[in-house]
Amino acid sequence: MQMKNVSIKKKIGIHVAGGPSHAVEKGPAITTVAAMPDRIPFIKPRLLVKKGDAVTIGTPLFEDKGNPKLRFLSPGGGTVAEIGYGHRRAITRIVIKTGKTEAHESFDPIDEKGLKNLDRDSLIETLMDRGLWPLIRSLPYRGIASPDEKPSSLWVSLDSADPFHVPSHLYLKDKEALFLFGIRILEKLCHPVYVCETEGAPVRSGEIAPLVTHRAPAIYPAEDPGVLLYHTKKSPDENLAWFTKGQDVLLLAEGLKTGRYPTSRIIAVSASGNGNGGGNTAASRCVDTRLGAPLSSLLPNPETASNLRWIAGGIFQGYTTDPDGYMGFYETALTLIEEAADPELFGFLRPGLFKPTASRAFLYALHKKHFTAKADLRGEERACINCGKCEQVCPVDIMVQFTYKCIYAGEIEEALMHGLLDCVECGLCSYVCPAKIELAETLKTTRQDYYQDRI
Amino acid sequence: MGRIEKPLRKLFDRSRPYFEKGRRMERLKPFFEATETFFLYPAIPVEKKPFIRDSLDLKRYMSIVLAALMPPFFFGIFNTGFHARNASGLSTDFLSVFGEGLIIVMPIVVVSYGVGLFWEGLFAAIRRHPISEGFLVTGLLFPLTLPPTIPLWQVAAGITFGVVIGKEVFGGTGRNLFNPALTARAFIFFAYPVQMSGERVWIAVRETAGNAVDAVTGATPLAVAALADPKARIEAVFADNGYTFQTLFFGNHIGSIGETSSLCILIGALVLIATGIGSYRIMAGGVIGALATGMLFNFFATPDLPAWFSVNPVYHLVTGGFAFGIVYMATDPVTAPGTDKSKWLYGFLIGAVAVLIRVVNPAFPEGVMLAILFMNIFSPLMEYAEMRLRIRRRIPNV
Ligand code: SF4
Ligand code: SF4
Repeated sequence: MQMKNVSIKKKIGIHVAGGPSHAVEKGPAITTVAAMPDRIPFIKPRLLVKKGDAVTIGTPLFEDKGNPKLRFLSPGGGTVAEIGYGHRRAITRIVIKTGKTEAHESFDPIDEKGLKNLDRDSLIETLMDRGLWPLIRSLPYRGIASPDEKPSSLWVSLDSADPFHVPSHLYLKDKEALFLFGIRILEKLCHPVYVCETEGAPVRSGEIAPLVTHRAPAIYPAEDPGVLLYHTKKSPDENLAWFTKGQDVLLLAEGLKTGRYPTSRIIAVSASGNGNGGGNTAASRCVDTRLGAPLSSLLPNPETASNLRWIAGGIFQGYTTDPDGYMGFYETALTLIEEAADPELFGFLRPGLFKPTASRAFLYALHKKHFTAKADLRGEERACINCGKCEQVCPVDIMVQFTYKCIYAGEIEEALMHGLLDCVECGLCSYVCPAKIELAETLKTTRQDYYQDRI
Repeated sequence: MGRIEKPLRKLFDRSRPYFEKGRRMERLKPFFEATETFFLYPAIPVEKKPFIRDSLDLKRYMSIVLAALMPPFFFGIFNTGFHARNASGLSTDFLSVFGEGLIIVMPIVVVSYGVGLFWEGLFAAIRRHPISEGFLVTGLLFPLTLPPTIPLWQVAAGITFGVVIGKEVFGGTGRNLFNPALTARAFIFFAYPVQMSGERVWIAVRETAGNAVDAVTGATPLAVAALADPKARIEAVFADNGYTFQTLFFGNHIGSIGETSSLCILIGALVLIATGIGSYRIMAGGVIGALATGMLFNFFATPDLPAWFSVNPVYHLVTGGFAFGIVYMATDPVTAPGTDKSKWLYGFLIGAVAVLIRVVNPAFPEGVMLAILFMNIFSPLMEYAEMRLRIRRRIPNV
């Protein structure tokens, strides 16, 4: 099949310093792991274990109240050490203290031949049983796919949408056959399966190369499945599509092939400006660790980074977390950036040679070097001045300021016409807005509310 | 924190409690915050994703507009001072001219800012909003469109009208239909025509004992043209009165304080375009609109029609407030359309209507002001039409 280049005209250069080095290190041995139910959108978790219970890798920890077949398995074997609750008693974490030797729940291994003999429904059932189904998600709402849906296509993004991520050639190394098996699984679930890589990716090995169907420009968020779908779809029938990420394909494959719940994860750990003003710092690396790893295990000296902002899941789409938190089910990046520091005398009048911006309003625009990221709003919230910067960067051509106004006025139908459901939650609109309006967050919560009311 | 920031920080931290809820100066909180953030640029942690944000904010945005206003502002001070001293028969060396200009212009600017800020603060306090930076632009734009002899009470009345009626009744910054500075200017123009036009308002004469000129008259290029015989060519009439194209372009002639020098305004325009703060689409659209309409009139020009019909269209760009209006007023993002194609159209129509008014109604030469206000009304409509078109091109996803 001819590879398609997905063209996206909008280009916004955000050059954050401190990306991970391209070498995978083995993480240290881990004594606790956790599942983070509230990071999984739209599910209502019902606990299946209680504190002190003994569990093995693969023991169901919780299920979805809406669909009890949807089960989430334990990423570790040992005892349930803590169940954390957050706002309105939502379960935030189930922490497992791992034993010296961890037992596995064992399922029947399924190989290529076994897969051939499975029909689609039994495959889905198998994936549900083995806690692998949640790896497949659904557009436009980005929740876990529902087996009843009829997806138009299934997208696999090899590289993540976030600027800091594990490059695909790292996690695919020596796993080509497994990946191929994973794609075969997906092909059983949906046809066609599209695999997208980023422009400039290293040459693929013989097994992977023929699988790649699309190539996206190397700009955030071009490789987001929502962006790919938006730029390739021809009719409204295609709006419902499934997607998964490259690393998750490996999990799927491993889970079927070995008959064990897979737990390996490679996490991109990036620290922007940890001490030496940006660049690759000692802390920036890719760590080969496990699903649900404690964040502190990912850094050599976590104590020294306690004054930084810890973000799990990417600088644009992730979550602020405590240093004593854990990586969630879908997250493959931990990013540490500086907190907003001190106020600056006449800050807005300075030439701004080192004030990162996508605009041309500071001298920074002349060199656009990589900058040290800071969790600083860089201004105060104001009323929208209709400057149009938000719509200029939106990768799916939403006229964000108008859509925002529709939402504000309660005109959801109108907002939908504007393309609210095409929004990929990339956050670029909020990034550029000079009035510091939380556009992306507003659009996201509106989409989610709309989805949940409709159910 | 540096040597200056620390004590400042302390000072603000110590005063803040007085402005908190329930304290005596609670209502003045917007003023306090505006002052604080003026000196100490705030560092606010990002709460929601994305966790990094662009450095551009409204303070920067508006500062750049102010920076772009500096060339016409300083030239305006110089020019006003020069004509005042020249007409009064005083020496015209640079320093005294500039000093004279400051004495004439600064009170107008101070009143505009002071009175405007009062209203701005009042509404901010009532609505419990922060004071919007956009005001810093309005407060300077307005004085630059005025003749130097304007009575200060009219400046106060104008800016009051501009801020209250032009902006706040619509719900404040971001919701206003009309550009507030232009609203203020239009109000003065119609309410106090005597002080805004005629031959006596353009030169702020200094009455010294030794010189008993009681009124110095001077006609602006537009006024000269208005009196021109239809048979004459405007270019010639201009030249006869000392208004060569060069004079008009460089701006060393009488007129509104900041509007005379097309060169300075061009520099400002380049600043706005280079920084991406002012829309080049609107400006270019405006220039094209004016030239095209000018040429169209040339085509119909006969000796029986007013002289403006036959003028070389380039003259439209350098006379009156056209350049100032299209560069600084038409590009106000709040009152202009937010979509790209509409910006071209909006600019084009402003240019066209400005020339139309100027040519067809020579008694009312300052067309650009009305043209912009008029197009302000249509701006939401254009925006809406373009939005509809673009929505129709989307593959629906509902
Ligand atoms: S609306 Fe904002 S968050 Fe959504 S896709 Fe566009 S730029 Fe990204
Ligand atoms: S970027 Fe912000 S201020 Fe500009 S139009 Fe969009 S929402 Fe309004």
